Amino acid sequence: MGDLLAPANTLEVLLGNEAVARGALEAGLNVAAAYPGTPSTEIGESLARVARKVGIYFEWSANEKVATELAMGAAWSGLRSLTMMKHVGFNVASDAIFTLAYAGVTGAMVIVSADDPHAHSSQNEQDNRHYGESVGLPMLEPSIPQEAKDFTKEAFELSSKYKIPFLVRTTTRISHQRGPVRLGEITAGPAKGRFVPPEPDRYLQVGSIARKHHAELLGKLREIALDVSPSFAKVEGPSDAEFGVITSGVSYAHAKEALKLVNVDAKILKLGMTFPLPEDVMGDFLSSVNTVLVVEELDPYLELRAKAVAKDRAPEVEILGKMTGHMPRVGEYTMRTVLEGLSKALGVAPPVNFAEIDRRSSEVLKKVPPRPPVLCPACPHRSTGYALRRAAGRAAFMGDIGCYALLFQKPFRVEHVTHAMGSSIGLANGIDVATDQDVVALIGDSTFFHAGIPALINAVHNKRKMTVVIMDNRITAMTGHQPHPGTEVNAVGEEAPAVDIERVVRAIGVDYVRVVDPYDHAETERAIRDALKHDGVSVVITKRECALLTVARLRKEGRRIVPYRVNPDKCTYCRVCINTFACPAFVDTGSMVEIDPTVCFGCGACVPVCPYGAFEPQEGSLNWREQKIGV
Amino acid sequence: MDVREFNVIVAGVGGQGILFTTNVIARAALKLGLNFAQSEVHGLSQRYGSIRTELRIGSGVSSPLILEGTLDLLLALEPLEGLRQAPYISERTTVVMNDHVIPPVGAYLERFPIPSFEEVLELMKGLGPKKVIVLSAYDLAKKAGDYIVANTVMLGAAQATGVLPFPEGALREALEEVSPSRYRDLNLRAFDLGREAASLPG
Repeated sequence: MGDLLAPANTLEVLLGNEAVARGALEAGLNVAAAYPGTPSTEIGESLARVARKVGIYFEWSANEKVATELAMGAAWSGLRSLTMMKHVGFNVASDAIFTLAYAGVTGAMVIVSADDPHAHSSQNEQDNRHYGESVGLPMLEPSIPQEAKDFTKEAFELSSKYKIPFLVRTTTRISHQRGPVRLGEITAGPAKGRFVPPEPDRYLQVGSIARKHHAELLGKLREIALDVSPSFAKVEGPSDAEFGVITSGVSYAHAKEALKLVNVDAKILKLGMTFPLPEDVMGDFLSSVNTVLVVEELDPYLELRAKAVAKDRAPEVEILGKMTGHMPRVGEYTMRTVLEGLSKALGVAPPVNFAEIDRRSSEVLKKVPPRPPVLCPACPHRSTGYALRRAAGRAAFMGDIGCYALLFQKPFRVEHVTHAMGSSIGLANGIDVATDQDVVALIGDSTFFHAGIPALINAVHNKRKMTVVIMDNRITAMTGHQPHPGTEVNAVGEEAPAVDIERVVRAIGVDYVRVVDPYDHAETERAIRDALKHDGVSVVITKRECALLTVARLRKEGRRIVPYRVNPDKCTYCRVCINTFACPAFVDTGSMVEIDPTVCFGCGACVPVCPYGAFEPQEGSLNWREQKIGV
Repeated sequence: MDVREFNVIVAGVGGQGILFTTNVIARAALKLGLNFAQSEVHGLSQRYGSIRTELRIGSGVSSPLILEGTLDLLLALEPLEGLRQAPYISERTTVVMNDHVIPPVGAYLERFPIPSFEEVLELMKGLGPKKVIVLSAYDLAKKAGDYIVANTVMLGAAQATGVLPFPEGALREALEEVSPSRYRDLNLRAFDLGREAASLPG
């Protein structure tokens, strides 16, 4: 990780997300809050790391809406605040954000949306550029980490000037791109503001007041389109070129290099503000060329707007892109995508023989076994999945967002659904109403706090019959271990009151509640079987911390991680372990199963899985269940 | 120093220290004042899923993603993951490969045959790279003190190939700088063992 507090004027290696955090610090940030979500998480992690040192307030909030409202509260008290979220997190926060655009701010506020084209780590590929226009807030889009820092900083200045929040939109390849960044002065620090609405009705959005504020907002956006948006647009390349490319974000970086490879005279219009668009700049560009290729990931956002501008300003220009079939709409762009689109648009052969590369590599790739994401060795979710399969194999399984979503895979197959944060319990309500099936909702601790609680309340009040398995691994694991309301520490490492899930569940009125260590397979299985028999809402909490936390702590304490082994005299090569438990440390030699010592964490969870007792500790091996390690 | 374009992929499985390894190379580039763009994917599958990073160094670089067929250096911390980079490998590619295959457990459930290391090596050579260097990185790491520094062993071997656009010593210095103090000596020992192993003829 880069040094977020490196002195001004130095060049530092920063991840795009770290660059956003640094930009906020340079802009005088006071308060930030977020819920973790890939690819946005490292912005918050960076701020959490330096918060106490710099004197800013940072928290991991219960969800994106709460984080946004907290940041709004700060900005309405005259401070500078930041919130950031993944693209789908914006949906959660959007209820607050739409009206926030009317309300504006008294201090300054920046909202970062980190989109995930290709759905590398997401449930969809939604294109949040549409939010800029539909919410009515200006949106900046950096192309490299340096711009991620600079644009974030400028977004604060502009927000302070226009008194509305500014959006910064990144994508995975910006958020998770590391590059050299020239730093500026950090001006962030602690501050206390005062909540005094600038006008008595400023923050009261009802009927006539809302309409007044709506009109006011549209006026500001017209001003920004004329005065600010053009300064974020850059035209590059020979002015007499007849071929042009319109692009933004990381697509600009691909397009710039691809144009060199096809070796044609072309110019590029790079847009740094994608809402509101600099229509005059676009009009001038469109009227100066014969053909334009729009290079943008996901929706034809710029393409449609280029067509709208061209109707009056350049009716003759040919606009190519997704709508003409030159560029794909699904997945992220690579150098190859852009080169192929560009070659098609220019009517030339691509400068690289992709067909030959495909032919040569596909022969090899056929022989490389796929390696989809797997639950880590020692992962408590594997044990919960194992018990669920045995105890409730015929149920309808509603999964949720978290590492445990991987339980949809063989050999567990105890997730028929992964949808949106908290959807597991909400969907279980619907399946129970509509069918006579046993229904099980699987949800993690952090997701439960985020959006699971209202659905559980709903289930109890409406007399549903369902089993909710809360897989409490004591952390927000998938995004890299952020605290949540149920942990004993907060984002900046201070002790914090842990909200107890069991007590929450009991207070809601669930009368069947069991808390088990998932490593105790027999007990977990029993608890689930009994829960399924319960007439009403039942909750089983499988409580054991994320194995990576356990391993990190053991290493820190200087304790040796000694792998388990397979006793060759006992292994009958029945493969029950592989076919039911599938730990990544298992190696099938063709005549027996072995444990790869470079992979095994030495937890001992596999011991009860073997019918012949072939998994054995070695000298120094621990047994996490018996020794109560990680519970 | 003028470098136009030098493309690196570090491939392996989650938990092998792929990000750290790439960060060391990027740090060396920064110290030498070279332009670079590094791309990585975070999130799910911290352990034993397929993981790769791309690092592009040079004045001609703007995209963070490598074009097929233009890879200069492949560090394969796990051989199957190295082979998965096939579309990027060409006659300009130097491959440094760990010899320890970690079979994906899901492949057993699908009855997908898992190639042995010898088969992987054969397939790799068939792609026509400039050079393939094979290393028992886990053995060397264990010799240095811990399995977990197999990545640093590979880094030392990468230095020994001489293809990195850095002067002698730059990578080791970057490693020293990036290492957490607790692992610094261990990392440097592993680096040196990797460098020596890759320098041996044959």
